[in-house]
Amino acid sequence: MTHELRAEDLSLGYGPQDVVSHLDVEIPDGKITVIVGANACGKSTLLRGLARLLAPRTGSVILDGKRVQDLRSVEVARVLGLLPQTPVAPDGITVADLVGRGRYPHQSWFRRWSAEDDAAVAAAMESTGTAELADRPLSALSGGQRQRVWVAMALAQDTDLVLLDEPTTYLDINHQVELLDLLTDLNRRHAKTIVLVLHDLNLACRYADHIIAMKAGAIIREGAPIDVIDAAVVTEVFGLPCEVLPDPVSRTPMIVPRGRHHVPVPESV
Amino acid sequence: MATPTLVQDTDVEHAVGTIQRGRVVRKGRVLGVTTALALLAFALFVATMMVGSFPVTPWEVIASTFRLGSDPSVDFVVRDLRLPVATTALAVGLAMGVSGLVFQKLLANPLASPDFVGISSGAGLAAVGSIILLNVSAMFVSVAALGGALVAALLIYLLAWRDGITGYRFILIGIGVSELMVALTGYLIARADIFEAREAMTWLVGSVGNAGPTQLRILLVALAVLLPLTLVLNRHLDVLELGDDAAKALGANVERMRLVLLAVAVVLVALATAAAGPLPFVALIAGPIAVRLIGANGSGLVAAAFVGALIVLVADLVAQHVVPVELPTGVVTGAIGAPYLIWLLATVNREGRGG
Ligand SMILES: Nc1ncnc2c1ncn2[C@@H]1O[C@H](COP(=O)(O)OP(=O)(O)OP(=O)(O)O)[C@@H](O)[C@H]1O
Ligand SMILES: [Mg+2]
Repeated sequence: MTHELRAEDLSLGYGPQDVVSHLDVEIPDGKITVIVGANACGKSTLLRGLARLLAPRTGSVILDGKRVQDLRSVEVARVLGLLPQTPVAPDGITVADLVGRGRYPHQSWFRRWSAEDDAAVAAAMESTGTAELADRPLSALSGGQRQRVWVAMALAQDTDLVLLDEPTTYLDINHQVELLDLLTDLNRRHAKTIVLVLHDLNLACRYADHIIAMKAGAIIREGAPIDVIDAAVVTEVFGLPCEVLPDPVSRTPMIVPRGRHHVPVPESV
Repeated sequence: MATPTLVQDTDVEHAVGTIQRGRVVRKGRVLGVTTALALLAFALFVATMMVGSFPVTPWEVIASTFRLGSDPSVDFVVRDLRLPVATTALAVGLAMGVSGLVFQKLLANPLASPDFVGISSGAGLAAVGSIILLNVSAMFVSVAALGGALVAALLIYLLAWRDGITGYRFILIGIGVSELMVALTGYLIARADIFEAREAMTWLVGSVGNAGPTQLRILLVALAVLLPLTLVLNRHLDVLELGDDAAKALGANVERMRLVLLAVAVVLVALATAAAGPLPFVALIAGPIAVRLIGANGSGLVAAAFVGALIVLVADLVAQHVVPVELPTGVVTGAIGAPYLIWLLATVNREGRGG
């Protein structure tokens, strides 16, 4: 199933000023898109706008040819899921219960819990390695375990488009790579379109088919990482002098920052 | 639906089994606890009708209540004297229990019960106003209380609204509104004549013996409609609990569902308040007790209703028969609830949440 998700002339904001203004962006179908940018540049705001959590001030978000504002919320939620950056869990909730809540858009007042729901929840928990935690209260888990439970909830929603806001925060390096591998599996085997916000540029460059570099609410560059990420772009987006080398494993761009210390005086690289 | 990963199918099948079993176990626990609470509530319902200056056996109570036998003197004592009070206690408890838990879940805070955030005091102000200023019929006192609760709720909602509702702001503004309502009620009572003031004060302390037949009937009809409705809406309450962003991402119509759930809870607590006065603390403590009994196994709305009923029935029993002088029910629920509130505030602060 192919999908179209794009924004036209999209402005979003909270206070008097727009955070994102007059932005055009198209999420490539069936690809992994990674959004990178400095803190507070509007990444989460853009994701929230795309998932119609935030109403546009100008322009619109188009999902499969229709403006998302004109669609019913559950219709959108069966196609497009979003894991917010800082979701909140009710007191005392267990892992299985929380993941099960991801099935909400597939249920209705007459269609309650079904075998299909069980299967989706089980698959989501198994793939995120949270199945053994099923009966534990969320509050009794480590930060990384919790993060994986939230990802499981987003996967249980079983949408063709999955938007994840910083899903690797709190995860150790092994679990970061595992999660990104899992998302790549989902993308390749089930043609899911994935949009991620990541702060690790090296992993972003490695896993992204399409990378979007944002600064102050605008898109600076976008495209395949190998084509668009170079030292000048990273310096412009993050204000950080750096070197960009080919990643020895994947040959994708690898960013090596230049700080003020630990840099041999005469020259480097 | 495809299995969305690389993991082995056998693993997933195993996990499906675990999840199904877990769900059955949790459901069983909820059902067990709820049934036990319901039976206990029924037993107390019968018990409150047994005691008094004319003792009656449980069988006589049941026979008379359900019109299975006819013994004129028993029928008079049970059906005419004690049944209305017991039914009021039961109904008011059910309504306050559910309403309190809906508020607490919706606003993600154990302090967010309607008697704490000014809904009950809104109902109280309107009821006292109608008693003192208008001298109206019991039927109208119910309508006034409902109106007062709705106005208070709306006022809090509008004042607390800022791109959405957060529990903390709702509670603080609710407490402010509550103070305003209480002050206005005090003003009304101060300028009333002594007889009306006494009537208003009695109403304000709250007693299940106060309810008129009309108020009780309205409350029963509302319960019959709104309790099942709350259960239907519980699915939405479950996702609203995850916060606005996650709930919207899951496709919930957040604003509408929150308004509907708040409205249901407000109507329930308003009608209960109209019937028995603002019995303090019932709505505040019923939900947390139910949740503690049920654990993380389910939503506990029905259990909260029965815990509410149990609290009011026990309070009524104590108020009428255990203490040497007969007291209004509200004095007893206050005496049970106040220590709980202190404990709650102490533990909430220790855990660093509470807003
Ligand atoms: N709920 C809100 N109310 C008001 N302002 C907000 C809100 N959320 C974000 N902002 C502001 O909007 C701007 C963009 O925030 P956003 O969350 O989109 O940043 P981000 O790129 O996701 O940053 P980070 O990497 O830190 O997550 C920031 O200046 C922030 O202060
Ligand atoms: Mg962010």
